[in-house]
Amino acid sequence: MADEKIICETPAVRVSAGSENHRRGLELLHEVDESEATVTTAAVGSVGYVGLEPLVIASVEGKTAFFSRPSIEQVETIATTLDDETVPTDEAMAVVEHDPATASLPTPETGPLGVGFRHVLGSCGWLAPTSIEEYTELRDDLFTERAEDDPENVRGDVMGTNLRGRGRGDASGDVSVAEEWTTVYETPGDPIVVVNGNESDDHADGDRLLLESAPIAVVDVALASAIALDATDVVIYTNETETLACERTQEAAAALDDVSDTDIPVRVVTGPDEYKAGEPTMALEAIEGNHRIEARRQPPGPSEHGVDGRPTLVHTPRTFAQIGMILEETSLRGATSDPGTRLITVADDDSTLATVELPTDATLDSAVSAVELENGWNGACVGGVFGGLTRTLDVPASAPGLSGARLGTNGVVELLGDSTCMVALAGERAKFAKEMNCGRCVPCREGSKQLVDLLRTVYDGEYKRGMLRELARVMRTTSLCGFGRDASRPVTTAMDEFETEFTAHAKGNCPTGICNQS
Amino acid sequence: MSTDPIWERSHDDEPDVPLAEDIAPGTANDPDASSRERVTITVDGEQVETEAGATLLDACQAVETSGDVLALCSYDENSKIGPRSECRTCMVETEQHSVIPSCSFPPRDGMTVYTDTEMATEARDVNLDLLLSNHNLLCTTCGKNGRCELQDVSIENDVVEPRYGVMHDRSELEPIDDSSPFIQIDRNKCILCNRCVEACNDVQVEGVLRMEGSGENTRIGFQNGMETMMESTCVSCGHCATVCPTGALLEQGLVDATTLPVPGFTHKTSAEGIIGEEYDHQSTQRTPMKSELETQNEPKASEPSATGED
Ligand code: SF4
Ligand code: SF4
Ligand code: SF4
Ligand code: FES
Repeated sequence: MADEKIICETPAVRVSAGSENHRRGLELLHEVDESEATVTTAAVGSVGYVGLEPLVIASVEGKTAFFSRPSIEQVETIATTLDDETVPTDEAMAVVEHDPATASLPTPETGPLGVGFRHVLGSCGWLAPTSIEEYTELRDDLFTERAEDDPENVRGDVMGTNLRGRGRGDASGDVSVAEEWTTVYETPGDPIVVVNGNESDDHADGDRLLLESAPIAVVDVALASAIALDATDVVIYTNETETLACERTQEAAAALDDVSDTDIPVRVVTGPDEYKAGEPTMALEAIEGNHRIEARRQPPGPSEHGVDGRPTLVHTPRTFAQIGMILEETSLRGATSDPGTRLITVADDDSTLATVELPTDATLDSAVSAVELENGWNGACVGGVFGGLTRTLDVPASAPGLSGARLGTNGVVELLGDSTCMVALAGERAKFAKEMNCGRCVPCREGSKQLVDLLRTVYDGEYKRGMLRELARVMRTTSLCGFGRDASRPVTTAMDEFETEFTAHAKGNCPTGICNQS
Repeated sequence: MSTDPIWERSHDDEPDVPLAEDIAPGTANDPDASSRERVTITVDGEQVETEAGATLLDACQAVETSGDVLALCSYDENSKIGPRSECRTCMVETEQHSVIPSCSFPPRDGMTVYTDTEMATEARDVNLDLLLSNHNLLCTTCGKNGRCELQDVSIENDVVEPRYGVMHDRSELEPIDDSSPFIQIDRNKCILCNRCVEACNDVQVEGVLRMEGSGENTRIGFQNGMETMMESTCVSCGHCATVCPTGALLEQGLVDATTLPVPGFTHKTSAEGIIGEEYDHQSTQRTPMKSELETQNEPKASEPSATGED
């Protein structure tokens, strides 16, 4: 079995994998454990690079080598080399020298692992995800203890920042976290804190990464927030198909419960693997156990009328991670209008994912080298399923920067190569909206149908530009929830950036040739 | 077999009046949409004072607005019904919150509202046309002709040719549910305003109707999972038909009350199919399901072994 604690151990082997490569990761780990070598081992979470995993991380003292997807034989060699107190370097993708006691994954200057920087991601892939021993050893106080001792101080720290919520699942997504906290705190009733980790967009990997790789920190901050807001319980809402995230969060909650004095219960609740179920008010419906999930009318929003009508704080794991940085009293980096960092998942043509952390004043193109691209890219969809299409990534990673460029803020950059037809992509996303909406309001339910039909008429030879614009605008400004407000973005941005492709399609010609096949 | 006295058990399995928590309408736990205090706002340049409990729509209706705030799905006869805020034909523009649905936005002190800006008008026009795009607009054979709220707002809004067309392909229409001798359901005329569901669950507390499905498959259905009105637990109180703004729910006696005589063509035959014809000669007001439930619930003391399973 892997060891409980891995930090400062030497020689050490960490096998890093997310849920997708978890099984293979365990096989490789087993190989090291079975070998004659005397090494400390741990199954750690993903560092964020699904395409490179399992990643075997071999360390001796202050030197660490990384091996991407090694074979069983390679792992045997790694183990025997380590047994001699030597870091194996043959076929390593990177070798790094570092402080032997570092609590943050040491990364090379170059190559995919060197992209961005690791602030909230520091422990991901480096520390044992559910080891409370390691977690407590690294800090004087748990956030939870700090909040118990001085709730007002924690409240003040958060309410004094201009942090914005991260992700579409956050009730204060892109807007002030402090205001949300103030409303929750001031609304009469027993508040409740919800960690909304149900993101079924395959490309938006940031929340899953945090829940799998650093669950204790997420739960610790959520509990501290609950204490600071006088909340009576914490609910962690996850996707029913994400079993690893779910198990680890449960373990983390149990471990924290053992070491802290708080009696606030933490409940893990799963919701359906459906895009709509990640919308904050639909998350509330799922938590309440409604058999049918539709959005709730607002205002008032969840901060006043949340779970069972109680004042409810709904943040994503990504937002809680930023709050953790505030509580650690590290001054937040990034743009002053949107301080902190953002997790950006870069996806290449084959949907190989790499999640990196950028300060909000960096531009998106600095994330691109996290994936290897064979043929370059000629466009990108930024912001997830309902992101915006663009030809340039010279856009700041901040909420104002992204929305100014009409892109989405859900932390995804899909790189689109020559084999992607932008008109077809816009059509696919409109079809997704038509099929996946909750059915509650007219602009989204009926609007998405008409949007699909209007795009179909482009293929029939008629590009009704004005009608498309008008419909997309009304969907954006009058839909009841974020789903419908975002749903037309791929279409409008495709029209902005790739207009000639629409006119070409109306003439029966797809520039990439894809739509003309079959 | 249980030896519990009958009065101990009676309220456990009494389907006649379902417990409020057993009612599953399939809709969200919405907050209250009215303001908690008196406020003063400006609508199209005119000052309006609203009472606590008022919505922005109430304020708009208190003055002569420049634009027609259609507000199709709102219902003001019973406070237990709505606002559902689904049709989005009540959009107005505000200086503070951009375009918002007036039926369900709590007025806030000092708000400035315009009803006839380009954005607000466009929003109402497009959303009304979107509703019509999914509507079998055959008024002449419709039982609601002349007293239909959708027809009223379409006339009010000068709809001549809905920009997305109307639902006309007969083969795509859902069959009309004609199973009940009291209420006919034509889902091709339903705008999903949810009034009937709320009338059934929140006013009558009968727990029969629900919202079901999602996306384009969203429809009104029955909480017992059955396909026709006659197989539901409907008690034929008729409240749903009373609140329905369109010809989707009609009392059978009124199905052809206001139609224009088109030979061989009636509301009943306007769609391709009809379901539930086997109940044609149903004479009682109770659906068979309802009667069955009630028989099961009859005092069992006289025949203790009849139900077996307890
Ligand atoms: S915008 Fe779409 S998903 Fe949201 S309430 Fe309306 S129909 Fe449902
Ligand atoms: S419900 Fe009947 S009367 Fe009303 S608009 Fe539709 S077809 Fe016309
Ligand atoms: S049947 Fe009538 S009342 Fe019920 S949702 Fe449809 S239109 Fe509204
Ligand atoms: S009346 Fe406001 S949304 Fe229908």
